[in-house]
Amino acid sequence: MNTIFPVIAILFFPSGLFILASGLVYEFVDRKLVARYQNRIGPRWFQPLADLFKLLAKEEFIPKGVQPGLFVALPVAALAGALTAALYVPILGLRPAYSFSGDLIVTLYLLSMMTLCIGLAGANTMDRFSVVGATRALTQLFSYEAPFLLALLGPAIMAGSWQISTINTYAQGRLWMIVTQPIGFVVAIVGLMGKLELPPFDSPEAETEIVAGALTEYSGRGLGLFHIGRDVELVIGLTLVAAFYLGGLANPLDFLIKTLVLLLITAGLQSLFARLRIDQTVGLWWRIGAMLALAQLLVLIILRGLRL
Amino acid sequence: MSIGAMLGDIVNSLFKKPATELYPFERKPAPEKFRGKLFFDPEKCSGCQLCIKDCPSDAIELITVDKVNKRFVMRYNIDRCTFCAQCVQNCRFKCLNMSNEDWELASINKEAFEVYYGKEEDIAALLARSTEECAEAPGKG
Amino acid sequence: MNPQHPPEKFILPIGPQHPALKEPGHFEFTIDGEIVKDATVRLGYVHRGIEKGTEARNYNQDLYLLERICGICSHVHATAFALGVEKLAGVTVPPRAQAIRTLVAELERVHSHLLWLGVCAHEGGFDTLFMYSWRDRETVMDILEGLTGNRVNYSANIMGGVKVDVDDKTADTIRHGIDYLEGRTHHYMKVVTTDETFLGRTRDIGTMTYEQAIRLDAVGPTARASGVRADVRVDAPYAGYPDFPVDLITETAGDLAARFVVRINELFVSYQLIRTILDKLPPGEISVRIPRRIPEGETISRVEAPRGELFYFIRSNGTDKPDRVKVRTPSLCNWASVMELAVGHKLADMPMILAGIDPCFSCNDRLIRVNRRGDSQLWSWEDLRRYGIEQYK
Repeated sequence: MNTIFPVIAILFFPSGLFILASGLVYEFVDRKLVARYQNRIGPRWFQPLADLFKLLAKEEFIPKGVQPGLFVALPVAALAGALTAALYVPILGLRPAYSFSGDLIVTLYLLSMMTLCIGLAGANTMDRFSVVGATRALTQLFSYEAPFLLALLGPAIMAGSWQISTINTYAQGRLWMIVTQPIGFVVAIVGLMGKLELPPFDSPEAETEIVAGALTEYSGRGLGLFHIGRDVELVIGLTLVAAFYLGGLANPLDFLIKTLVLLLITAGLQSLFARLRIDQTVGLWWRIGAMLALAQLLVLIILRGLRL
Repeated sequence: MSIGAMLGDIVNSLFKKPATELYPFERKPAPEKFRGKLFFDPEKCSGCQLCIKDCPSDAIELITVDKVNKRFVMRYNIDRCTFCAQCVQNCRFKCLNMSNEDWELASINKEAFEVYYGKEEDIAALLARSTEECAEAPGKG
Repeated sequence: MNPQHPPEKFILPIGPQHPALKEPGHFEFTIDGEIVKDATVRLGYVHRGIEKGTEARNYNQDLYLLERICGICSHVHATAFALGVEKLAGVTVPPRAQAIRTLVAELERVHSHLLWLGVCAHEGGFDTLFMYSWRDRETVMDILEGLTGNRVNYSANIMGGVKVDVDDKTADTIRHGIDYLEGRTHHYMKVVTTDETFLGRTRDIGTMTYEQAIRLDAVGPTARASGVRADVRVDAPYAGYPDFPVDLITETAGDLAARFVVRINELFVSYQLIRTILDKLPPGEISVRIPRRIPEGETISRVEAPRGELFYFIRSNGTDKPDRVKVRTPSLCNWASVMELAVGHKLADMPMILAGIDPCFSCNDRLIRVNRRGDSQLWSWEDLRRYGIEQYK
């Protein structure tokens, strides 16, 4: 029994096929919502699946001047990081497959592996667009990482633990933390958009300036793996924010409703703003984002100190 | 000074139908003056060839089957036509007009792009004459 | 990257194939981090030999050839040519035809400015504004289709007048469409001037002072955004503009935000003008007979395209084919301003600065000879032919 459970957990549920499939579903919902906000029709339900199959079937070019091993291994590493992170979050509202004290930090670092891999991938190639894209991706990593972590720390402090499943259980049955820590919620949602490089923070892959940023030279399988990795991160990120701020995830229906509501808000934020330049992003995060997150933390620490 | 000035638009759009027209399932009719495929009425043609003179792309050609009896056949190359309607403007006898219903002209073979206008017997006579010429000179394409 | 070489310049090419450009053109930006240190431009990818092609076709055929130099300023090219040839032939076009020419030109200006609004927003990453402004642009394209018969390349002009007429039903459709568009344009003005993220991308970007605009010979809304009071419709009214005057719109800031404001204000002026023309359309004929052979002579013809001043030189030699047609399009004048202003800005601003002058690459590809060696400016046909043979030997 002990050897079957890890295999099922990694290959089928919650990681593996299930999270890949739900990544595709969430990508579809996101694109459809953004299209409806812009008064157009949007893709059909199987579009992300078709995109993935098409990319997997295409020939992969390894450009001149790159390290071939690194070039091929980076997308795999990025996807692996995202898939591993799925083992520690309450997917579908059920107990996470593996849980230990401190797994909040581990999950967040696993999620950041994607951005690091993108940065490395961009720096690896000789293409000018990729180099600029990689620089921007890493700059953005340095700017949103701290406020996002602090925003997720707020509920952790309230729950008194660094373990995601404990925080999840703590959040259920109490007043939703979006009400008690609204600033933290705002920073968390916007931080999630920064992590996933969604507009208005899509400067690292600005289509009109640097073609596709760090991923310009990727095609075929590598690009497909990066894309599906980003979708998996979308699901995991939404799960985390919903579990912490929207009153915990108790059962599958709860999970679906809360994450889809969050996706509605995120898609709306994607359509509302023009793209921020990289220096504006950094300025915004380090001035306003960090200040807000710190202020929120301060309030929490004082409250907790007073109660004790 | 506002953040999200288009918020009203995007929230409204969630409850409205998309602005996309689902062609070919929904096909809006073209307005009256639309310049689609050219049509030629040989009855009134006098053979002045003013239409040919001003065509910017040599899309039409008037072939005389019988000049005295005013029997003309027009060969119209749809793929060369720019749909400018200068020929329609030039014709003094209103032989030419551009349709507003026939505008889906894409085709996968070249034969559809060369159209002959004229009386049936004139076109038959013309084609017979050209096959005769082809039979006489088999070496030429 | 051999470390023993001197530090090479980091040149980022934009174009000829690039998602930012709708048409091919080659720009090289030398960047240092994110700051642009130098910029060069190379055009000529869409050269089709139209000016030479006009010499082989008669005047009526040339009207349609010149209309296809550009897709969004097609009517003004045809108008400029028709006005020039009518001047050479010495015919007077009836006032109703001139008014209809002006009506179609203003509708084209509306179309072009709405298109530009969407494209420039897309370059700045604001896809929502792009989608909405292009949805509203469908209204003006449907109006033009109902009026002239086609959505682009209207072919409304003929030598000596126009070939389409405006009846009451068409006039009502136009009025309804313009009312809807005016409401939406007010909304876009609000978005463009108040949305903080958008202003962050357009305020104080690409600022061109009045002196720079004069020195770099900028034309059109790009120059008017810096305070230059130049508009051919006001300075040298042509076609219907003597009877239907327009206001000159200028701004003083000279940055990208000012260019947005100038173009949206020009939209309001156009709406007002369209309504006035529809109300006061003079009765009469819509065309006049013009001889096939145009007498010898030379003339110039200047009109205000949506992008600036469009300049035609036509020389006739008594036959029914022109001797020489030379076109100088407005986008050609504005490139120098872009290249000078780009230095010092960040790389992320480059697409918006490029799109801010509303470039029309198809219009641009004319022959320019840069006078480097101080030899004569005049080149005969033999010189040109010899140069072409030498160049490609």
